Amino acid sequence: MSYCVNCGVELDKTCEICPLCGTAVYNPNQPVDFKSPKPYPEKKGIIDSPTSYEFTILMSIILGTIAIVCGLLNHVLPTNTRWSFYVIGICILIWIFLLPVFFPKKVPIFAGLLLNGGSIAIFGYMISDLHPGKGWYPEIALPIIVIGTILVLNFYGFTIHKKSSFITKTALLFGSFAILFPVVEILMDLHFQGAIFLTWSLVILACCISIDIVLITISFLTGVRGELRKRLHF
Amino acid sequence: MNKKDRTTWYKLDLSANVYPTLQRKNFSNIYRLSIALKENIQPELLQRAVDLTLPRFPTFKVALRRGFFWRYLEPNDRPGPFVQPDIENPCMPLNFRSNNRYLIRIYYYQKRISLEVFHSLSDGNGSLYLLRTITAVYLRLLGHDIPNEMGVLDIDAAPSPEELEDAYVRYATSKFCPPRKQPKAYRVRGTLEPFYTLNIICGVIPVDKALQTARQYNVSLTEYFNAVLLYALMEKQAMDHPFRERPLKIAMPVNLRRFFPSDTLRNFISMVYPSIDPRMGTYTFEDILTQVHHYMRYYINDKFLNADITTNAATQQNPFIRIVPLFLKDLVVKQFYIRVQDRQSSAGLTNLGVIRLSEEMQKHVERFDVLMGQPFSARTNCAIISNQNTLTINFASSIKETDVERIFFRKLVQDGIPIKIETNRRMEETTCHTV
Repeated sequence: MSYCVNCGVELDKTCEICPLCGTAVYNPNQPVDFKSPKPYPEKKGIIDSPTSYEFTILMSIILGTIAIVCGLLNHVLPTNTRWSFYVIGICILIWIFLLPVFFPKKVPIFAGLLLNGGSIAIFGYMISDLHPGKGWYPEIALPIIVIGTILVLNFYGFTIHKKSSFITKTALLFGSFAILFPVVEILMDLHFQGAIFLTWSLVILACCISIDIVLITISFLTGVRGELRKRLHF
Repeated sequence: MNKKDRTTWYKLDLSANVYPTLQRKNFSNIYRLSIALKENIQPELLQRAVDLTLPRFPTFKVALRRGFFWRYLEPNDRPGPFVQPDIENPCMPLNFRSNNRYLIRIYYYQKRISLEVFHSLSDGNGSLYLLRTITAVYLRLLGHDIPNEMGVLDIDAAPSPEELEDAYVRYATSKFCPPRKQPKAYRVRGTLEPFYTLNIICGVIPVDKALQTARQYNVSLTEYFNAVLLYALMEKQAMDHPFRERPLKIAMPVNLRRFFPSDTLRNFISMVYPSIDPRMGTYTFEDILTQVHHYMRYYINDKFLNADITTNAATQQNPFIRIVPLFLKDLVVKQFYIRVQDRQSSAGLTNLGVIRLSEEMQKHVERFDVLMGQPFSARTNCAIISNQNTLTINFASSIKETDVERIFFRKLVQDGIPIKIETNRRMEETTCHTV
């Protein structure tokens, strides 16, 4: 039998390291037994989820019924507008947004987000087709949807990484705002005035950059980070 | 499901109502009881033993359902529960609709049979009857003669109505309901393990040595272990250098069957909170022992426990609360638990006491283990059980740090108690920041 030199407790013969203090076991008289079974199995259990599609079926029926009924009403009732297209589009949009909930194992969140961006773009195109204005869709809506989707995917990609800290995530969020808002104003300026003249987005940009500089500085200074964690823990 | 089963259903008992409310994707209130035999387990025979035993325990062969105002249990005739090879990370969260809607799991590993139970079904003492009966039936299938006594129920007899009763309601008779709220306690902070990991550190101790030490201090074994855990928490808080110190409190379930005679196999426990407050000054270990000893003697009696269960019963029986829809109750209870109840204790400790078995059964049994399961918040839970001269102390936590466990076991070693440590942790050398 081996004892931990730090804790004084007897360790199981299969134990290589004292679980209490992390000290390695060196016992020339009795080396660690790698052959005997360990006190606990090594196979990790996986949480089983129920295979119930009740919610999926219910939501699909509700959304499908709303879409079909509105389509029929629009077709039957004497009206010049194609109002049912909005309802049908929203129903499809909700269904696509709910896909990761319906099929959590089959639809990865990354693909779900990409699909959401694509469906919003298609829905926007449908609206622009119903309201042919002054090219607002290709000049403003579509670039915002594309950039927004890229930023969301980028943010998600970073946040799922185990080592990304709260500070990194916050810095990334403000960094995304720093890109998104000036782009929105540039696109709007180009569409409405034909020239770029940044105003409100510059204020947001300045705030986001200041916050990011502070956060990045903190993330590099280990001492400050530790001190903040100690003082602000809740 | 036959006609009788369709008309049979069980209300959740007083404490059982809270556990499904706290259910999260990454948390279920599940605990584990294990029995280690002297020979390797044969899974086919164990499955037969489970199939033969479970009908005798109708409140375990159930599914949890949602009503409009309350949840309830209904008999479950689906196939199962099936015995399965044990896993490294016990007490995994349980989805109420998975596992054929069963709320218990049975595992086997080498010589050990483990029973995991969702707390809404029963407390540790109730589940021990099921585990002992399954084991007795299993041993009978192996050809041994095991009598129906000392916690082993007769599987051919019909369950008595008292086994199925909600004993709280019968005994909640106090005319005074003490307030529930207590000050916030110190909470152990640590690095959360990835989902889903449950770290176990088990200390195996000879009962005679532990009793000898407790007697030297003139306290009971439970009081001694409570004091050691409070001491470990006090040291841990001092190591943390917190901005503001808080009282140290242990949430300890008390088996109410000791004070209010009942044969119920369902929940019948109440919580007490032995505590010390380091803000008032430095405590020596002897001071902590004195504090715990007097607290236990003062509070653990039928009067205080009756008042405590009456407070809970009064809340549940309040007509204004009863007519609130379940989803609103869930919202309020969950928030109350997160903001008040969970912050009232620094750690959990349960002592199921001495498990006595018939002589015929005892010769096949090596030891018992109990695991309190995953804590609701990042902290550590401690569970104690003993059989003959073997006492096991199982710490379960979902954090990487082992400071509380280390101080706890080192204190026992200092007091002259020999300990053997087992773990499921995959440790790296010197991962602890303080040794």
